[in-house]
Amino acid sequence: MLSASIFVPLVAAVVLLLARRLGERQARLLALVTAAVPLVILAVAWLRFEGDGGFQLVESVPWIPTLGVGYKVGVDGVSLPLAALTALLFVVSIAYPVELRGRARQYFAAFLFLEAASLGVFLALDLFLFYVFFDVSLVGMYFLIAVWGHGDSQRSALKFFLYTLAGSLAMLLAILGLYLSSEPRTFDMAELIRQQPLDGDGLRAALVFLGFAVGLGVKTPIVPFHTWLPPAHVDAPGPASAILAGVLLKMGTYGFVRILLSMMPETYQRFALPLAVVATVGIVYGALVSLAQTNLKRLVAYSSVNHMGYVILGISAAAAAGVDGDPEAATLALSGATLEMVAHGLITGALFLLAGSVWARAETYELDELGGLAARSPAMTGAVVLAAFASLGLPGLAGFVAEFQVFAGTFAIYPALAGAALVGLVITAAVFLRMVQRVFLGALPERWASWPELSRTEVLALAPVLALVVLIGVAPAWVLDVIDTTAQQILRR
Amino acid sequence: MTAWLVLLVPLAGAATVLAARRRHRLLLPLALAGSLASLAVGAWAAATGPAATWRWGRHLALALEVEGLARVMVVLVAAIALPVVAYAGVSLAHDRGLARLLGLLLAFVGAMSVLVTASNLLTLLVAWELVGIASWALVAHDWRQAEVAPLALHVFLTTRTGDLGLVAAAGVVLAVAGTTDYDALAGLSGWPVHVVAGGLLLAAAAKSAQLPFSPWLFSAMAGPTPASALLHSATMVAAGAYALARTVPLLDAASWLAPAVAGLGLATALAGGVVASVQTDLKRALAASTSAQYGLILVAVGAGSAAAAGTHLVTHATLKALLFLGAGVALHTAGTLDLRRLRLGRALPFVAATFAVGALALAAVPPLGAARSKEGILAAAVHRSAWLGAGVLAASFLSALYAGRLALLAYGPGPASLARPGPILGAGPVPGAGSASDPSPSIVEDRGCSAIKMLHNRTDERPPIFERGTLERPPAVERGALGGLAAATLALSALWLPGAADLVEDATGGALVAGEAWELVASVLAVAAAAGLIALLSRRGHLASLGLPTRTQAAVGAWLGLPALAEHLVVNPVLALSRSLAALDDRVVDAGVRAAVRVAAALSRLLAWWGERSVDGLVQGVAGMTLRTAAFSRATDERAVDRAVEELARGTTSAGRQGQRLQTGMSHHYYVIVALGLVAAVAVAALGRS
Repeated sequence: MLSASIFVPLVAAVVLLLARRLGERQARLLALVTAAVPLVILAVAWLRFEGDGGFQLVESVPWIPTLGVGYKVGVDGVSLPLAALTALLFVVSIAYPVELRGRARQYFAAFLFLEAASLGVFLALDLFLFYVFFDVSLVGMYFLIAVWGHGDSQRSALKFFLYTLAGSLAMLLAILGLYLSSEPRTFDMAELIRQQPLDGDGLRAALVFLGFAVGLGVKTPIVPFHTWLPPAHVDAPGPASAILAGVLLKMGTYGFVRILLSMMPETYQRFALPLAVVATVGIVYGALVSLAQTNLKRLVAYSSVNHMGYVILGISAAAAAGVDGDPEAATLALSGATLEMVAHGLITGALFLLAGSVWARAETYELDELGGLAARSPAMTGAVVLAAFASLGLPGLAGFVAEFQVFAGTFAIYPALAGAALVGLVITAAVFLRMVQRVFLGALPERWASWPELSRTEVLALAPVLALVVLIGVAPAWVLDVIDTTAQQILRR
Repeated sequence: MTAWLVLLVPLAGAATVLAARRRHRLLLPLALAGSLASLAVGAWAAATGPAATWRWGRHLALALEVEGLARVMVVLVAAIALPVVAYAGVSLAHDRGLARLLGLLLAFVGAMSVLVTASNLLTLLVAWELVGIASWALVAHDWRQAEVAPLALHVFLTTRTGDLGLVAAAGVVLAVAGTTDYDALAGLSGWPVHVVAGGLLLAAAAKSAQLPFSPWLFSAMAGPTPASALLHSATMVAAGAYALARTVPLLDAASWLAPAVAGLGLATALAGGVVASVQTDLKRALAASTSAQYGLILVAVGAGSAAAAGTHLVTHATLKALLFLGAGVALHTAGTLDLRRLRLGRALPFVAATFAVGALALAAVPPLGAARSKEGILAAAVHRSAWLGAGVLAASFLSALYAGRLALLAYGPGPASLARPGPILGAGPVPGAGSASDPSPSIVEDRGCSAIKMLHNRTDERPPIFERGTLERPPAVERGALGGLAAATLALSALWLPGAADLVEDATGGALVAGEAWELVASVLAVAAAAGLIALLSRRGHLASLGLPTRTQAAVGAWLGLPALAEHLVVNPVLALSRSLAALDDRVVDAGVRAAVRVAAALSRLLAWWGERSVDGLVQGVAGMTLRTAAFSRATDERAVDRAVEELARGTTSAGRQGQRLQTGMSHHYYVIVALGLVAAVAVAALGRS
């Protein structure tokens, strides 16, 4: 069943590329229907999910048996919410109106290809398969930015591609290192988690850990490996930005949980403090740099650096306490970090889609050129204000639940770092309220006197995302319980 | 679960009002209905004392329990909201944002009810932040005016800085005790108890506009008067004092906390009293007095009398909401808040009378209720230390001074010698007239309820004298709201009745310190001294200026220079840091990446010169080396390794070709990256074999 959520979009992507006579409307319809399939499948998977913490709905086919490579997919409490988030964001992004430049088929094909790859990353239970999907996702995003972007999009796309590819090369070496240490040799994640082939001290464990950390850290991104992110976001079309921030960044943080925390917890424990320090620096640094931005998309991009800092801080705190420390605090931090991935995906996804709407109307992201727009489009104002509130961690919205758990868990383990990271809360509040103020409040400039309100398509696309932001903020138990089962299991080892 | 009605009923009211935003005439009736329903639910909750929890997850839960002081507060919030909502619906009847304003006021009642009935720190934190954002939205009500949003930002950021303390407190309690229940506070020890105590103090100081955070309350005055009355005096600002009243008794282990709370409160009471006494803007003077009064409540908390604190919370909320509505009438009818240009007593005798009731209560003149509650604070303070008691007496003197000065300047009759026909200011639109569905923008702008533009419009012309009949009388609903609050202020005089102390102790769950007779005499003397000073100043015509040089008065009135200090010490450095980090990020961090690419480019040229083969060949050569290295080693499953490396070589080579297609200018950089990667692959492979 889960495999269909990877292969249906993949096949549809091929069909779209080959069917030259398909018009824009048909292409969009086909893409939407196909993208909805994984969403339905994952919704069913969610309903059938059982809280025993292990991998479920596993599908496995031998692939290269001599190497221990298999095609194996499944879900647990960490990957299921991320996969479901991915499926939702793709439906919404595909539906979101954008300038297609006469290449509708190719655009939707790229999106579906990227969806297959992204779901593959979260569903893969084989490290080799994971790596293939992880890398292939770059290609889809590269084309979306380079072809349908604006500004210096070719250059930004290439920088994104090369930078993250270099990162994933580091990860490839680490994967090989891990593989070569396993006995019997295998890429099977469940088996590697059971074996813990390289755990503990030693140069090899350290090198492999660092390879993963750099590879995943570039993708996340962790400061100072983040400089590919702002240009890629600024020049990408809105929906691609939403996927980049909402889904692709999560591949990095998901790897931290799935690989580093699960397969080498003792090595992670050794590196937990430095990583937590780097994460805390990223939290404050990302927020401060975001505060100085004058470009809407760069502002949101740097705020992502801040939010990914919370995720890495939570995971690292969990790693530090998980093995022999306080298991409850570790679970708190880890499930907070995982929920933060979901919350950030929804919130920042919505913000980037809305930024796309701004571009479609104004062809600019400069805050100083905008202003007073609340007078013209209350719906857009409401949507941005809601997403901005969520992003600054307002209770009642998804980000708060996640961030509070991260803080509380970290306070038990690294109180000083948790205290330092708190500063980020004030700065992000300044970032987002100033953004709202500069774009929507004050006098309406003459040139935007006929600024169009959000279209019905835009409203319908944003509605489920923002509704989830509120739902998770008010009643997070249904997500947290799924995450907690696996978080506990990961930390019990 | 019925306890959640204290949140859900006001929220439903807010939703109804917002849904009806295009039916302008329905807004006030709907809002009043919502407000009445909230009051009914509040009263029901106070009577039955329900409790509820709402599970968030394995570790988190929200919890309400209506008990102790919460019983009083849950009624108080809704009871103050009722006249304020009524006043808002009439006085801003022509405002385009009326539905938003009423909706926010009702939603705020819901959030504030959760805040006062919270029984764990997480719930307190959630409600705390929600009332904070409601405050932001209400201050930014006139968002079309460019000056307003930055002031709203100042309000939110200052209080959010304090909120960090509450996040830390809640986080630490959860981390240490596994729950955030208030009861868990009593079991803390070691560093956590100090972090929790410090965090709560920080959060409360910011929210209750104590030093050094007080100036945010001035910025908050940019909001419409109803918001100032409900949030920025009567209830939301009370949250800090209230939270301390609930938690300080549990945090015995942090022995410094109670003295710190009392000291901070006293300092704010004195400084705020001075600021309020010299301010020339009516709303700002009231705001400074709000800081000062919450300072006194903090003294009571620090001195260990939650009962005295709770009583003063109630009396102050009532009288201050009354005074703010009176200030709103002054602004709407006279068009200014400048105390040198008001004196509306002859023109608006009814409003003046209600304002006088509020001011007398603020001055703590017996037999008004506020005098009794201040006696309670004085008794608690004296009981703790004579110095604290002396400080409270000094603060009492100041509050009588500013209360009397405000009443005379705002609603006094004005010197008879200057009597002449006054200009009919602000007599423009009659509230309730005109087409409600199509409010003319110019009318809305004219009736701007923000104090800001008034503050920038000071002139030195002779003060106008407002005679009877020169100004519009406020509409009946507004008079009803003022009259109701004045009646409540008078009714609170019942606190002096014998037996009232028992009721208060029952209601608040705390003990009142029995006051001594000399304390009462001393405070009456303090009030009398203030009255004498006012009479003296008034006779000399110095009541507005206090005989101070204008610059001195302006500097003291602007919170003793605190805003400028905050700007130089915090705001500007943070903004400068943020700008330089952004520049650093663009130039230096990314430059590292660009330098790496340049080094790679140079390497690739070197390699191209060194070997004649194409870069592709070079990559394959490196891959071949890998294979040879692997072949040399003799492990059991060497085939597997070879295959893996081969796969790797093939994969990277084809990826490399793709990279070349992407942009030829950069492709050789990329190949070098691949080549370097392969070299590293060899190293790891060799390592793996060893």
